[in-house]
Amino acid sequence: MSNEELVLTKKDINKAAIRYMFSACNIFNYQTQQGPAIVFGLEKSLRKIYPDDDDYVASLNNHYKYFNTTTWMANIILGASLAMEEKDGTDSLETVQAFKTGMMGPLAGIGDTLIWVLYPTIMGSIAAYMGLEGNPTGAIIWLLFNIFFVFFRIKLFSIGYDSGLKLITSLGDKLSVFTEAASVMGLTVVGALIPSVVKINTGIVFKTGDVEMPIQTEILDKIMPALLPVALTILIYKIIANKKMSVTSIIFLVIGISLVLSFFGVLTV
Amino acid sequence: MEIIQGLLIILLSFWMVIDQQGLVIVTWFPIMVALFAGLIMGDMQTAMVIGGTFQLMALGVANIGGSSVPNWGLAALVGIYVAIRTTNNIEEAKAVALAVGVPVGMLGIQLDVLAKILNSYVAQAAQKALNERKFKKMNHILMVGPLIFGLSTAIPTALCVIFGDKIVNVILDVVPQWFTDGLSIAGNMLPVVGIALLLQVMPAKKYLTMLIIGFIFSAYLKMPIFGISLLGFALAYYFFTTNMKKSVASVNNESVDFDEGDEFDE
Repeated sequence: MSNEELVLTKKDINKAAIRYMFSACNIFNYQTQQGPAIVFGLEKSLRKIYPDDDDYVASLNNHYKYFNTTTWMANIILGASLAMEEKDGTDSLETVQAFKTGMMGPLAGIGDTLIWVLYPTIMGSIAAYMGLEGNPTGAIIWLLFNIFFVFFRIKLFSIGYDSGLKLITSLGDKLSVFTEAASVMGLTVVGALIPSVVKINTGIVFKTGDVEMPIQTEILDKIMPALLPVALTILIYKIIANKKMSVTSIIFLVIGISLVLSFFGVLTV
Repeated sequence: MEIIQGLLIILLSFWMVIDQQGLVIVTWFPIMVALFAGLIMGDMQTAMVIGGTFQLMALGVANIGGSSVPNWGLAALVGIYVAIRTTNNIEEAKAVALAVGVPVGMLGIQLDVLAKILNSYVAQAAQKALNERKFKKMNHILMVGPLIFGLSTAIPTALCVIFGDKIVNVILDVVPQWFTDGLSIAGNMLPVVGIALLLQVMPAKKYLTMLIIGFIFSAYLKMPIFGISLLGFALAYYFFTTNMKKSVASVNNESVDFDEGDEFDE
């Protein structure tokens, strides 16, 4: 069946966007990953495109197939898919499937870095640092950004619907420079985190005759501020890079060593 | 009052996982969970300190490509609830939050895997309903997915709300000082794990300069994190504009020499 006239309204598009954004990874399973979530998101709009039951079932079965990418970026892909199906009906199903599988890899590469690594790193570092002082301002700012991004992502869905593939290819180059720039900012913040949030104090005091010399304030702090946190960061970085120990066992190791060193008074709060 | 707080904490744990995997407003990032938990419990300061500690542990932990990672948001949530219920000062609260939160956060991995396995059946049942032309039924089945994920955090939280503070109170009466001190020390050291993990996934070697600049401004000049973020933004903006110009120029003229003393040049 082929539809010459557009049947979807702005409202349908936004509804599909919100339904997909709600389900995103919430029906995630190991076989088809985000497939069912896409069906949940798009099915109301697809029903309007395909009044005929057979076409509708064929289209949904197509969307049940494996799909996995950064959920925020998926909005562009799904908006574009919807536009294709609206234009060509069931004739478009193969193209839609090829388009979806072709785009999900590259978009996940950039999207995961930007959205699941850099964004929470920068916002999380600021919010956590303020949080350690009992101050919720950083968390509130992060919350406001999230609310802004919800509207932005609804917009992304309609941008995908309006311009689809064209947009993704033209953004390609810019996005990778943008990702690098965000890494620059992220690493500056991370560099600041090590001395400000990691606190390690040794309680050892050197005694020679009448002279007492607390190692922490008289020696370590004079060499470099936050010497022990830097040393520990480098050590753990090496251990993780070595890949012989899982992160879980590293965490329990740190807790275990803390308890032992606390017992002997080597480290103090 | 305590019952209402307990219920709200369980509801928050139900919503946070669905939100993180979907709309991303509340999220399961510890400091954000702490914001809401602090409001519910009426003790923002303690909630923020605990949330901040877990947030730093969670920094490098991204659940990319559907991989399962410790649920530090869940850890922070039950940690905050039990700590505020059982302790009176921040250092003790941190120790208790860590003792309760870390195991629960680890348990979160197993429950996340279980939820994803159960959702295979949801997906199959929904597709079966579709092929039987029962479209309404299919939609109802699909809603079971979020329900499973919500329960995967709400059930452990409910157990901690019901039993956690009672058990911890008993334990606190018998454990020695060095033990709670040791947990506090661990709480101050564990952010390193998050930071180290993060450095593996970010181009830390390539932009070591930025890492050192951030360190100097914080350790020697004691600049607050907001100032350093602005500095980082300035550097990033400079990097972005110069590199965008370069890529535009190199398209126009391949032979142009770009040796302008750009310190980011590789």
